[in-house]
Amino acid sequence: METKLIDHLFRNHSGKMVSVLTRIFGLSNLEIIEDAVQDTFLKASISWRKEQPKNPEAWLTKAAKNRVLDIFRKLKSEQKHIPEIIADFESIATDELFLEAEIEDAQLRMIFTACHPKLDAKDQIVFALKTIAGFSTKEIASALLTKEETIKKRLLRAKKTIKTTNLEFKIPQGKELPKRIGSVLNVIYLIFNEGFHSNKKEILVQKELCGEAIRLCKMLLKNKHTQIPESYALFALMCFHSARLDAKINTENELLDLKNQDRNKWSFPLIQLGNMMMNKAVETSQFSRYHYEAAIVAEHIKAPNFEQTDWNKILNYYKCLHKIQPSTSYLLTMAVVCLQSENYIKANYYFEQINPDDLAQRSYLFYGAKADYFAKTNNKKGALKFIDIALEKVSNNLEKKFLERKKIYFLKNL
Amino acid sequence: MKQFMMIFIGEDYADLGLSPEEMQNRMGKWFAWSQKMDAAGIKHEGEALTSKIRRISGVERTAKDIASTELKEIVGGYYTVTAKDFDAVEEIAKDFPDYDLGSYVEIREVMVFDH
Repeated sequence: METKLIDHLFRNHSGKMVSVLTRIFGLSNLEIIEDAVQDTFLKASISWRKEQPKNPEAWLTKAAKNRVLDIFRKLKSEQKHIPEIIADFESIATDELFLEAEIEDAQLRMIFTACHPKLDAKDQIVFALKTIAGFSTKEIASALLTKEETIKKRLLRAKKTIKTTNLEFKIPQGKELPKRIGSVLNVIYLIFNEGFHSNKKEILVQKELCGEAIRLCKMLLKNKHTQIPESYALFALMCFHSARLDAKINTENELLDLKNQDRNKWSFPLIQLGNMMMNKAVETSQFSRYHYEAAIVAEHIKAPNFEQTDWNKILNYYKCLHKIQPSTSYLLTMAVVCLQSENYIKANYYFEQINPDDLAQRSYLFYGAKADYFAKTNNKKGALKFIDIALEKVSNNLEKKFLERKKIYFLKNL
Repeated sequence: MKQFMMIFIGEDYADLGLSPEEMQNRMGKWFAWSQKMDAAGIKHEGEALTSKIRRISGVERTAKDIASTELKEIVGGYYTVTAKDFDAVEEIAKDFPDYDLGSYVEIREVMVFDH
């Protein structure tokens, strides 16, 4: 007999288990819980080799629960200091806490814990990926292009902060919620962006991270306290972006800009879902950055072809964004938008305000755009000079090839 | 036809720090290998071993518990298969999923005693 296991079952289940068990045994026992869950997967991965259980999820849940109880019994028998949990902890671990709705509640608590303002911003994303998304330190290191040692340090620091500040494992209520949900959305968007603009040498998009961010955001939409317009807007934005994922690269694994993307490759179910979410998102008078960003991507998608893109609308949305949260990448984008609508004076006005160093690893985008500006204003020397700087700064191989193709075009046609 | 044992030797899974995703993928490979043997009509039976090791040695029967982390090579499990010869088993062992983890397969023939 063959039971086809759901993709990522272990990984997604890891986040569920850790969250639910934390709700039962408390954040102070997170280490024990994580080890127990890890052991459970090991056991499953070996004992399921021959035959998988009828209900894999239930098997995992039960095994993880028993494992934690075993550990506690062992600690008790060894007279080790057991944390203050009710003496009769076995009765708390009732099955009610393992119902679908309760699991989601526990996961939301975990997201809010991960995004607590007391945690360092860099630690938040690492902690969320580890605890809720079930990535290993190695996987996080490779996704965030950071050394594994650094990831381990950040995790330790996050856990220490949680312990020393006695963070409560709950979804904030009342006035606290709107303040806190902002940082949750921000972490989710960061995870998505890491996936969408992969800096890895060979991989342009890490769908895993994008999928994880969408999954986390979906959880927010299911809970009445967190299904606010901003959450819907972020969800819409991620749908619109994801709809174009498969069109970003052609069959030769070459990067394509929007102009050359095959619009037939866009995923229309995702676009429809995004539109639905957007309709819910605009039931408010206060638009967030996610509203504007989603509106921009929607504008690109609406245009029947690249030439008919409504650049003015897009520029206006960017102005709103820049007002909410001034950033160098908005300035750069506005410059690029002005290039598209052939408003070179305005484009230059935006270029002038940019310090490319602010873009860090993505500074090549500035030099590439500026090269385009020179190309369009018939300054061959400037175009070649800047495309060379861009080539020097770029790390992703696909992006590099894209710039090289551009350089060849300049040499031939200017 | 003879009886052979494929012995799996390598670092313990628990010490490799595999992520849930990696464990699931690995399990899938084992499952596929087992199914491939079934499909080919190769009868195979075996066990996986836990990582706790107690070694007893010397005339004093000294017992010592060894942590799997101290050893890069422990026997993780085995399959017994019925096959024509070593070469046939070598062919079967090519699908062992854990070569990339530095693990290896040792093939041994089960001795038959004539009565």
